[in-house]
Amino acid sequence: MVRHNTAVASWLIALVCLSLSDHLVSAEAVFVRAVNLNGPALVVDGRAWDGTDATNVTISGKRFENQAVALKPATDPKRAQMICSSVWGDKVSVEVTALTPGTYQVLLYVWEDTINEQFDLLVNDQVVFEKFNSGTAGSWKKLGPWKCESRDGKIKVSARAPGHGAANFSGIELWAGDGAIPEVAKPQFVTTLTSEQTEFFERKIRPVLVEHCYECHSSGAKKIKGGLVLDSRAGIMKGGDTGPAITPGQPDASLLIQAIRHTDPEMVMPKQKLPAHVIADFENWVKMGAPDPRAEDTVAVAQAKSAIDWNKARDWWSFRPVESPSVPAVKQKRWPMNDLDRFILARLEKENLKPAVDAEKRALIRRATFDLIGLPPTPEEVDAFLKDKSRDAFAKVVDRLLASPSYGERWGRHWLDVVRYADTAGDNSDFPIPQMHRYRDWVISALNRDLPYDQFVREQLAGDLLPGKTTQETHERLIATGYIANARRFGSRVDDYPQHLTIEDTLDNLGKAFLGLTIGCARCHDHKFDPLPTADYYALYGIFQSTRYPWPGIELDQKQRDLVPLVELGGLAEFEAARKAHDDEKRRLDRVVKKLRDSLKGTPAAEKKAVEVRIKDAEKAVNEFAARPLPFELAYAVAEAKKAVNVPIQIKGDPAKPGDVVPRRFLTVLGAQTLPSNDASSGRRQLADWMVDRNNPLAARVMANRIWLHHFGKGLVPTPNDFGKQGKAPTHPELLDWLASQFIESGWSMKAMHRIIMLSRTYQLASTRSDDAIARDANNDLLSSFPRRRLDAESIRDTLLVLGGNLDTSPPKPHPFPPQTEWKFTQHNPFKAVYESKRRSVYLMTQRIQRHPYLAIFDGADPSTSTAARTTSTTPLQALFLLNDKFVHEQSQSFAARILKAAKEEPARIQFAYETALGRPAEKVELEQCRKFLNDARQRLAESGISTSDIELETWRAMVRALLRLNEFVYLD
Amino acid sequence: MNFRSSLYSRREVIRSLVGSSLLLPGLVSNLLAEDASSDPLAPKPSHFPAKAKRVIFIFSNGGVSHMDTFDHKPKLFAADGKTMGIGGGLSNQQRRLLKPGWEFKPGGKCGTMVSDLFPHLRECMDDICLIKSMKSDDNEHYQATLAIHTGSFFFSRPSIGSWISYGLGTANQNLPSFVAISAGSPYAGTQIFNNDFLPAYHQGVRVVPGKEPIANLDRRTKQSSVQELELGLADALNQRHLNARGHDSELAARIRTFETAFHMQTEAREVFDLSKESDETFALYGMKRDQTDRFGWPCLVARRLAERGLRFIELVDGSSSHNWDQHGDMAEHAKHAKNLDQPVAGLLKDLKRRGMLEDTLVVWTTEFGRTPGVDGDKGRGHHSACFSSWLAGAGVNAGTSYGSTDEIGSTVVENRVHVHDFHATILHLLGMDHEKLTFRHGGRDYRLTDVHGNVVQALLA
Repeated sequence: MVRHNTAVASWLIALVCLSLSDHLVSAEAVFVRAVNLNGPALVVDGRAWDGTDATNVTISGKRFENQAVALKPATDPKRAQMICSSVWGDKVSVEVTALTPGTYQVLLYVWEDTINEQFDLLVNDQVVFEKFNSGTAGSWKKLGPWKCESRDGKIKVSARAPGHGAANFSGIELWAGDGAIPEVAKPQFVTTLTSEQTEFFERKIRPVLVEHCYECHSSGAKKIKGGLVLDSRAGIMKGGDTGPAITPGQPDASLLIQAIRHTDPEMVMPKQKLPAHVIADFENWVKMGAPDPRAEDTVAVAQAKSAIDWNKARDWWSFRPVESPSVPAVKQKRWPMNDLDRFILARLEKENLKPAVDAEKRALIRRATFDLIGLPPTPEEVDAFLKDKSRDAFAKVVDRLLASPSYGERWGRHWLDVVRYADTAGDNSDFPIPQMHRYRDWVISALNRDLPYDQFVREQLAGDLLPGKTTQETHERLIATGYIANARRFGSRVDDYPQHLTIEDTLDNLGKAFLGLTIGCARCHDHKFDPLPTADYYALYGIFQSTRYPWPGIELDQKQRDLVPLVELGGLAEFEAARKAHDDEKRRLDRVVKKLRDSLKGTPAAEKKAVEVRIKDAEKAVNEFAARPLPFELAYAVAEAKKAVNVPIQIKGDPAKPGDVVPRRFLTVLGAQTLPSNDASSGRRQLADWMVDRNNPLAARVMANRIWLHHFGKGLVPTPNDFGKQGKAPTHPELLDWLASQFIESGWSMKAMHRIIMLSRTYQLASTRSDDAIARDANNDLLSSFPRRRLDAESIRDTLLVLGGNLDTSPPKPHPFPPQTEWKFTQHNPFKAVYESKRRSVYLMTQRIQRHPYLAIFDGADPSTSTAARTTSTTPLQALFLLNDKFVHEQSQSFAARILKAAKEEPARIQFAYETALGRPAEKVELEQCRKFLNDARQRLAESGISTSDIELETWRAMVRALLRLNEFVYLD
Repeated sequence: MNFRSSLYSRREVIRSLVGSSLLLPGLVSNLLAEDASSDPLAPKPSHFPAKAKRVIFIFSNGGVSHMDTFDHKPKLFAADGKTMGIGGGLSNQQRRLLKPGWEFKPGGKCGTMVSDLFPHLRECMDDICLIKSMKSDDNEHYQATLAIHTGSFFFSRPSIGSWISYGLGTANQNLPSFVAISAGSPYAGTQIFNNDFLPAYHQGVRVVPGKEPIANLDRRTKQSSVQELELGLADALNQRHLNARGHDSELAARIRTFETAFHMQTEAREVFDLSKESDETFALYGMKRDQTDRFGWPCLVARRLAERGLRFIELVDGSSSHNWDQHGDMAEHAKHAKNLDQPVAGLLKDLKRRGMLEDTLVVWTTEFGRTPGVDGDKGRGHHSACFSSWLAGAGVNAGTSYGSTDEIGSTVVENRVHVHDFHATILHLLGMDHEKLTFRHGGRDYRLTDVHGNVVQALLA
């Protein structure tokens, strides 16, 4: 990212500081001297600077010059010459001597010629700027003013870089007194124009602006780009998102000129470069002070235009309050089984479409079982349902399934898709998170317990701030915040770790998961379609900036830290003591290393080797000790940060370009609730409440839609993660609101929602589609029949394990990650593993940046971003998997063995295979086809010369493999 | 087609042609194009006419030094060991300059200077359009590798191969549209050939040189006649199931995939069976018969895949743990260059003599260059400020070089080609407008080039 304005920002900060000090003292500071630290004497800002050879100044550091680097922002040639030639090093310093005693102010020019470095700046050995980040190549800053007293007539400015940083010092200015430092007498905008200037503007400037710029940069533009309007003097002076368009008198420092010169490939205006003479006209115009006769101020007009009309915004369907609509009247009064059906039938009647017939019981129980637990019904369960002639036979099936622990494994997976769950951190080396599974298990258990959805949300966002009644409950809530902790990690660096990207990942997911809003779009600019200004984004950002995320380990700092201990109530002190003891021991070991190193200096050459060996051993001991985890159970969860803060807007999403500070609060369009003025918390607890506030219409709508989606394969809103303008409108808006109100009324019970949906007639329809329906409702939006769909990746794999009799249902164990003491992951050798398991697929170890080979083939969730709904692709690689994969063959073998054991006669065996795999008996024709196949296969196998005793099993393995490739096996009617 | 009992559609007849004969690839792809509606991988027209029909994308892992290979810096040879320049690993500290380790000589009629690391490629410079002013934005392998493949430095996005497969489909329905031949695991893992949010049809299929190049390609059942029976039974039962349900294109499509997979077992196998290649061809690629552990195998297989109409073939040179990342000793570059030079030159020559360079675009790139200043003892650090890449083949301004860096190769001074520009130009060469090749995801239209990128006209013939 090219950064235009870092220096301008610091100028502005400096100016603000100055204007503040104006109030305190009246006398202006007096210029004493300035030194070009690596170069000749020159004139900058109209003041004479000394060169490197000046007296009474001691400069230490290595000399370096690279005039080829393009400065950002560009500046006048003399200043640029001074900046691009500097002294550098990790201990650079400048000492000015022979000063009269008194108060001084110091200004320092620093710059970056390659990539950013980090160092501390000191005046008279006091740190005045901690961890200064030098920015990208070409960035320069005039830092200060820093007040100080001269000591023995001396002032020293120095840098200290504990890490790898090296500072480039270009020049210093010294001012006497603590008054304001006067601005340079810069050319101002010309406001009283001569007639020549007016003519110049009218002939050379205005026509070009009108022809090439106004379309996007005027108050009359359809859409004003970059917040810049050029149709008035005020607009030009104010500039756009990146600052004033013009610095009068200084074409090189003017963004407008840089843009038309195409200096920066990121800002090329207009696309077709203007002729050189036109560019020259503009340069001259800026040199003159940009004389502009236009008096009208269009800025206000433009701002009003780009401001959000909140009343209009709140009128968007998804932001309107959830209303409990009246149930529509229908003509076929006996058709509906519950109110839900009336909404569906009313639409069908309106479109004059006939609903399909009811599904057969076999299809229904298979559908419901896969739907709720992701596994096939057993032949016994099918049989029991067929025999149960009571009116509530199906309701009993639904209740049985909802009570099964497999329910949470199935529906928990849906939620894990949405929150892009992974067992690794996602940084360059993809560090394992051995504790992450606790969150996964919490999700599964929460669903099995039917934890009310509002509480489900609260605990994930703020469980650490909601103490439970028991230790267990407290622990569960801590673990639930694993939701936030699971945000992606990036890169491999520590000092300048890009936390803003981790917070972006948090906000992006939180917006999609709980609100169905793409708030991530508002990071760099106001959302282009939805009423989400950038300020809203940073209002939420502050909440997470005030939150401590656990550190999973990263290439350059491989140890976990800041995890949350799962201790008995009141046991925190014990943990803290253990941690302190651990830290103390670490420090002691560090001291041993340091002592040995120090001793090296005085060691005779002959003995050096031995000491070096001892140093190596001592270092190894430190590393091993540091990597040793504390003997406490830990949760990968969040906590409050040491200090709660509000953050500035990051202009264009660049953390190096701070804008206005925004207080922590909720999204404006959803109420803009704020924190109490004396609140020193992060605000997560309040955020959690705002999220599930009854007045937030999105909470219930979004979740009701997700539940619907997983029953029918498609949401009433087809874009479950986007309820904004770029999403799709609901096919049945009243039904969605009815469901949302039922959801709230039920006490946010997901299981209640399953009952409402599944006990409707709509859910129980057959999947056969009439020609009429195909012709007039191609996508089956109106649900005149049940939408047929393919099983997802997990259901296919889990079913194969069930058929083979190999599904392991014992409680899951932690993943067999290598022990933390052995972690040495780098981007060259990232963590990478696939752990074989016979447990349900929800328990497979999921890596953030490596897709599980099986899940990748069958459209598994994307572990790097929220998956709202799985896609269903149909590829030859899937077919190859079913043809040749070892796993398929293993399960086929066990299934074949089961079949041979289950019955003696061939027809009975075929029936057993059909009932178990497809949930129905084979029809007569199928029976014949299968028998013919078995005969042919036996014959061919016999011809191939395999031993007679193996033929029967081999034949049945072939039969099973054929069955597992059937569409009927992987599609639900 | 032994197992199909009935109901051959027109398309299936065409496919059986593909399956049994490779003599008429042009004709077959035309026939398939007419039947494009139902198949997400069917050939699609480009935005505008273009020469390049397919891409062979060669990626060298680890950061190939530009000043030691394609970016001739005479002044750097004169480095006195005291002059300071950008050096160091990731920190870009000021370090003494390190002179290039290999002499440069002009290559081809065009006389483009290439170092002694690439004597064979030097002979091909008349077919190559060299870019000496490449620019990336991140000095870490992972981010830069992700970016050169997806245009995104931090977030996972679809690979360029997936985008091109999505934009153009593919000519041969018996093989995947996008294949990545990668012996080891590159930086950023499988993300670099992942379809991400694009439909899974466009996922790069990983090919691993050796015994089983594609997962599950080998028939596990010993008796092929039994597999045919199995597929015959499944097909008959599937047809019955389909007939009972009337119209359902998804069910029908899935039936077809078994047919394709069945053929892949033989056809894809046939692609990897190099036994019919001549000794002369092996010599051209600088490899021994049956040798799969050097770069000759991927190059020769790439030609065979290109012949069969694949859309995008990526060849990954090196892995995240064994590659061009020479921090300690630049001399190691020789080993990696030796592995790459003759096979890639052989591929260019082979494509040319078969007339395939006319409609095949060959791309070579790395994730970033290396520092002019020293790192470690005799090595160089990571340097994203400039590096070299090249294009060859269809539609490319061959025999030229574009852009330049300063005297020591530390920064681009002329005609910068950012990763996004590079991608925009590759799409253009295939007849696609990078601003129009979009996919709606999560509420917005995504592009390979995000919101950046300009087609570099000077690179076009």
